This record gives sequence, C-alpha cells and structure tokens, in this order.
Amino acid sequence: MIKLEDYEKSVGIETIEELLLIAEKLKDLKVLHINSTKEGGGVAEILSRLVPLMNSVGIKTHWEVFKGSEKFFRFTKKLHNMLHIKGFSTIESHEVSTYLKETYENLNRINTQDYDVVFVHDPQPMGMIINKQNHQKWIWRCHIDTSTPDPKAWDFIELFINSYDAAIFHIPEFVYHNLKIPAYIIPPSIDPLHPKNLDLDQEFVLQTVQKFGVDIGKPLLLQVSRFDRLKDPMGVYEAYKIVKSKDDCQLVLVGAYASDDPEGYEVYKELINATSGDKDVFVLNLPSDSHLEINSFQRFATVVFQKSIREGFGLVVTEAMWKKKPVIGGNVGGIKRQILNGITGFLVNSLEGAAYRARQILADRELREKMGFYARERVKHRFLITRHLKDYLTLIRSLNL
Amino acid sequence: MSWGFEFRTEVWVTAYTGVKAKSLQEFTEAIKVVPNSSLFYHFYLNLFNYHNLPTDYPNSFAHWLARNNCEILAEKISVIDPIRYYDLEKLREDLLSILWECEAEKVKAFLEPFHFIYVHRHVLETGRVAYNLEEFVEGIEKSSIYSLFHHLITCRVDKGSAINDYSEWLINQGYAKKGEAIESIDVYMLNLYEVKEAILEVMKE
Repeated sequence: MIKLEDYEKSVGIETIEELLLIAEKLKDLKVLHINSTKEGGGVAEILSRLVPLMNSVGIKTHWEVFKGSEKFFRFTKKLHNMLHIKGFSTIESHEVSTYLKETYENLNRINTQDYDVVFVHDPQPMGMIINKQNHQKWIWRCHIDTSTPDPKAWDFIELFINSYDAAIFHIPEFVYHNLKIPAYIIPPSIDPLHPKNLDLDQEFVLQTVQKFGVDIGKPLLLQVSRFDRLKDPMGVYEAYKIVKSKDDCQLVLVGAYASDDPEGYEVYKELINATSGDKDVFVLNLPSDSHLEINSFQRFATVVFQKSIREGFGLVVTEAMWKKKPVIGGNVGGIKRQILNGITGFLVNSLEGAAYRARQILADRELREKMGFYARERVKHRFLITRHLKDYLTLIRSLNL
Repeated sequence: MSWGFEFRTEVWVTAYTGVKAKSLQEFTEAIKVVPNSSLFYHFYLNLFNYHNLPTDYPNSFAHWLARNNCEILAEKISVIDPIRYYDLEKLREDLLSILWECEAEKVKAFLEPFHFIYVHRHVLETGRVAYNLEEFVEGIEKSSIYSLFHHLITCRVDKGSAINDYSEWLINQGYAKKGEAIESIDVYMLNLYEVKEAILEVMKE
C-alpha cells in the first residue's frame, strides 16, 4: 500500500509535513469517491493513488464504482462527446429512462449516506446526487472540456449539476459560462512512483530501446500518444522528415489502439505505410501496460513531441517534462498551461514550427539541459500527485463542513 | 519583553470567477469588479507559482498582455511590485490608472481570452515557535517555501503591514540590523530557495 512518506524523495520533507498539517483538521471526516471504472483510463489511475494517499494522511476515504449496462455506457459516452463538442447528436427519451433506471439501481447499491464529502467523477455517476443529505458536501469532478457543450447535453446534466456544492475542472478554459455552481480549478497530476515515471537505470533504458531496434548512437524524436488524428502523428512524421533532411535522427511514434477502435487501427496502418521506407522510423503499437517501455523511450528521447490539434490536459506532456525533456507541444488545451514557451519547451502551431524547434533543441545541448531542468521544476511544483492531494484537502477545508 | 515567533504556512485552492476578458476594454472593466482574492492570485500567487522559472513577466496579467501584442502595457504592469503593497484596493487603483493611460491599445483584437481566477486561502500554524535566534534559524531551516512566502509576502496584505514578519520580530527582539537586512532582500527578483539561503546568511552573520 502506497504511503505519503514514499514521496519524500520526490518532493521533500517540508511538503510531506505540510500535507499532514492540512489533513490534521480533517481527520474526523469521511470521504467517498465515485467513478465508473476501477481500471483503465486516467480517472481510475489517479484514484488508485489518491485514495490510498488520503487514507495515509488520516482521512477515511473510500472508492465506489458505479455499475451500468452497455446501453447505459453507450449513452454516457455519447453524452460525454456532446458535452465536448456541439451538434454531435441528440438525446432520446429511452436513453434518459435507462440513465435514471440504472442510477436508481446504483443508489440502492452504493451507500453514500455515511460520508461527509462525496466526489463524483465525470457525467456517468452524476445522478447519484439524488441521495445527497443536508449535512453533506457533494463535488462534481469534471475531467472533460465542457466550454462549448451541445445545449441538449447541458440541459440534461443541469438536472443534477445544480444540486452539487461545487465542480472541479482541469483548467478555466474548460468551464461552461452558464455553470451556476462554484468552479474550482485543479489540474490533474502524475505520480512519480508509478512505473511510467519511476527513475530507471540507464543501462535498462538503453537495453529497452535497443530491443525495438533503436540505434542508441543517434538522437531520438518521440511522440507517445493514441493513434488518433487529433494527436497529429502524421504531422509529427512530416516534421521529422524536415529535421532529418539536415540532422541525422530517428523517430519513434509509440501508442496503442484498442481492438474496438477502428479509427485507431486505420491511423496506425496509415503511419506504417507512410513510414515503411525509412529504417529510422519506428511505429510501435504497444499493450497499454507497457509502462517501463514508455518510460524508457521518454528517458532516452532527445526531443519529445505532443503535436496535438485538440487536447484535454495532456498528461503525457507532464510525464516527459518530469523526465527533464523539452517538449514541443501543440498550442492547444492543457498543453498551453503546462509548457512555458521558450522556457520548458516550445508551443507550436504548425509542423514546420515543430520541425524548426526540434532542430533548435537538437543543435543546442545547453538549451536542452536548461529546458529539461525547468520542465522538471515546473512539474515538481505544479503537476505531481502530492499537489493534487493538497488541492483536494484544501478544497475540503474550504467547504465549511 | 521576549515573545515567540510562530512559524505559519499557507495553502490555497483556486477557483474560476466566471469572468473572462477578450479585449482590453473587457479586461479594464473586469479589473474594476473582480474580488481582491483574484488580484491576489494573479499578482501574488503567480509570483509563487513561477518563482523558480525564468519567465518573461512576473504576473499573469503582463504575460497575457504580451502574448496579445500589448508589450508596452505588459512592461508597465510588470514593474508593479506587489511586495510594495499591503492594500489590494490601492493595487487595483494603480493597475487601473496604467490601463487608462494606454487608451490606444484598446482597439487591438486579442488572440485569446484572459480567465480571472481567485483563491481560497488557509493559514496554518506549524506548531513551531522560536524564542531566541537559535530557534529562529532552526525554524527557517525547516520552513517550506510556502511558509517563507507567507511570512515574507502575503502577511503584508493580511496584516496591512509594510514590513515582513521575520523582520518585524527581529527588530522587536533588538536585532534591527538583521531585520532590516532581511527586509532588503529582493523577493520579487530572487526565487524562494535563493531567498531562504539569503535569510540564513543574514542570520549567520
């Protein structure tokens, strides 16, 4: 079981002491988190770390998973998309019935009454608010960009959202202007003790990347992302070609596509076909638990890209920054809030911009090291799980329980 | 009479005011109405958030203005040193007078909006108290940068005081020189790790 003290090496004893100090006055409280999956996805990953940490500082914290049928999750996936982008679809009355029926089933299954604070993550379980008691505070943790929702989707979640005491968003840009409850801003975080981010022995890193055919004598450009057009992997390849015409280097595009993701497979095949003639390009579809491999690639890389066209927060940027890598990121979403242009990496708006900045970083070791140093500093202060925990504890203290 | 120095620290969580500005005109109007806790966030807490990074501008207003091609205004706002203020209404007034001076910039179209954030702060007792110089040095050594930030910077706003907590205590204890030397450390220009070292140097002299 993970303990707060385990983080001392990453954040220092003062931060650990401060977290215990904040938690001291919250010790009699009971906190519940509800989301819709125990495994897979960023929310489950964060909760699997945050819940033990909250217990480790003395706050009794439980995690319950909302259960729904395939039909239920088909609807909530659509709702998710509609909250994200306007004009996507419509909501049918039978879908509302399914949502309410299965929410009531979960109301009978999950005990929410014994808690002082209940955090509900994302739209799937948000109907659980029906069980709210007067003495409780309920917080809706929204992990998506709702700034321009489809009005039909917003009308639907308004059935529930105004009963919450507050909502939490990653960045202010994600908040819809018609939201009527307080909107806290708490960015997501990475866990320095997760296998994805753990310090690795250099020998292990070299052996791992060599296993995939990477030449350890040549600089490596890297993008880690789903095979998704919105991550623009083809744009990264085009940028690499511009760089390659002048500087000898390699490119690794590493990601995953699920078996039920036809678009992911299509993008993967396109990349394989486009890059097949270049022995210095590696398009790797790895299983989703390839944490040490991804960690090794990030540590070995000279330059890391995240050239997204649209992005939520982009924790993969944070992960590379934690490993002291300058990141060249698309000037969108949460990437803009992480990369300080020219200080911890570069923000770009085109593949040409990405290529130019990559050449700049490749050519200048001092710049690379300086940016890497500042990138890690930024993550240490702003995007580690200890800060996330601190924000949650401070938020609970702010609720006037 | 000797009284102890109580080491405190502070924590905060941020929230969105719901106010955003897409032009200089909207920005000026927003500055008139946003709560003090929003000015506090953008001027003071951003100083903390970026203290260890070589950013072009020290506060998010200046940073945003520069990104939107209002470099002159950004420069004028960047020299507002929040440490010289202990009244946020005075800071607001000074900010507005700079904005009014730059009428010509108001016609520019802005590339991206500015979102006004505010904070909920909590000041916490650490339980450490110093009754003499030795204990005071030990307390500083054990202090986090959040604690330093509180005693050097935000305490001025909280107490409406022109002097930081450390210097005030030292002067009252009869160590005026040390107190003045700490007050003269430029916390607007150094990062908080460097400030901590500078304080310890003063104390060990």
